Amino acid sequence: MDYSRPSLADRLAAEYVLGTLHGPARRRFETLLPAHPALQQAVQHWQMRLAPLSLTAVPVQPDPAVWQALQQRLFGLPIEREPTRGEPLARPAVALAPPASWWQWLGLWQGLSGLALAAVVGLSLLLAQSQSVQPPVVVVLAANPDSGASAEMQNASFVLSLSADGRSLVLRPINAPALSATRAFELWAVPANGAPRSLGLVSGQDGATVRRSGLLQGTAAFAVSIEPAGGSPTGAPTGPIVSLGRLQI
Amino acid sequence: MAEEKHQRPSAADLDQLLARVSLGDRSAFSALYTATAPYLLGQIMRLQRNRGLAEDILQEVFVKVWRSAGSFDAARSQAQTWLASVARHNAIDSLRRQSSQPQIHSLSGIEDEDGEELDLLQKFAAEEPGPEQQWQQSADAESLRRCLRVLSNEQSQAMTLAFYQGLSYSEVAEHLRQPLGTVKSWVRRGLAALKTCLQQATG
Repeated sequence: MDYSRPSLADRLAAEYVLGTLHGPARRRFETLLPAHPALQQAVQHWQMRLAPLSLTAVPVQPDPAVWQALQQRLFGLPIEREPTRGEPLARPAVALAPPASWWQWLGLWQGLSGLALAAVVGLSLLLAQSQSVQPPVVVVLAANPDSGASAEMQNASFVLSLSADGRSLVLRPINAPALSATRAFELWAVPANGAPRSLGLVSGQDGATVRRSGLLQGTAAFAVSIEPAGGSPTGAPTGPIVSLGRLQI
Repeated sequence: MAEEKHQRPSAADLDQLLARVSLGDRSAFSALYTATAPYLLGQIMRLQRNRGLAEDILQEVFVKVWRSAGSFDAARSQAQTWLASVARHNAIDSLRRQSSQPQIHSLSGIEDEDGEELDLLQKFAAEEPGPEQQWQQSADAESLRRCLRVLSNEQSQAMTLAFYQGLSYSEVAEHLRQPLGTVKSWVRRGLAALKTCLQQATG
């Protein structure tokens, strides 16, 4: 979406808060929201405007089982009694956080300094085993019809393959039209919170290969925007975001 | 979980609790739950009437609160607004999953054919003063009510159907037996008019 058009940003924000922004449009909106301060501001203004509408709701005391299930889910505390209502199945949370995986063991091992040698041996075993079983992650960056970009960009999509250790990725364009010499595609890692990180410029013909550590850490989505030839002058996406893919692990 | 009489917490208290939650403070999380869960469940149940499903949604909301409290920006937004927004969108998602055709319930005279559409709008601002004022300054509610009244009946009806029942444009259109494009235009013009009116109200 080209949020440099304030009228579009404000309309989408209003519809988002009202609740009429649905389906893929809303998912795209929520994925891009953290990266666009102006859009966040529009959403917050609309939330404030419509907040009084929520006043009519009559409070309802939740069943104690809800709190117990929450503690169990978040903190692993035992449930004190059998829940009476259908115990909510722990739906897999949208994978915004890295999964329980071998790298989360790093901190634990490092803490046990007395066992450093054993740790190193154990860790390398873990690494060897994990790497052999963890498949690469593939993300489809679907064309964003709301980008506000030209019609020929409406089908611009990419496929991104990311090694399981998050150290390298390969991006291949699908239907990416040629850009004029003054413009370029730029690839971004979009975090759940905070500003997107540029992963560099991308060829519309050949895509790109990126080697960098921590590509998975904190990344919620990948996006491709159109920028001036040398890349975004500000360090944040400035042009329309033509393709977007959420990272699901 | 203290079973206290419903006493709406002040906005500043909630902001502080949420800030502590973002730092991983479990006791603040517990206090935030105690203070807000009944209100959020009430809001969720206005959209999702099945209590078991509504409580599942409530649980999801607080999982999200625990995990992403850090993304809440107290400088720009109020905690209660943020919480209400998370609850609302989770409830709307639940309706979408449950069925593409949520049941229509009459909440007030909104379905009457005799010009009583504003009933719902009057209701929210006619809430008795008192604790409500702590939850949200009533001046805001008064401005909003006044501005909603300047909209056309069609605009306010389409907007309140969408807001209170979580209906999509096509569902609102079906409910009002109007073309989709007409309904979209009512809502969008209504929102634009509302914004203009509220901006004038606050100067």
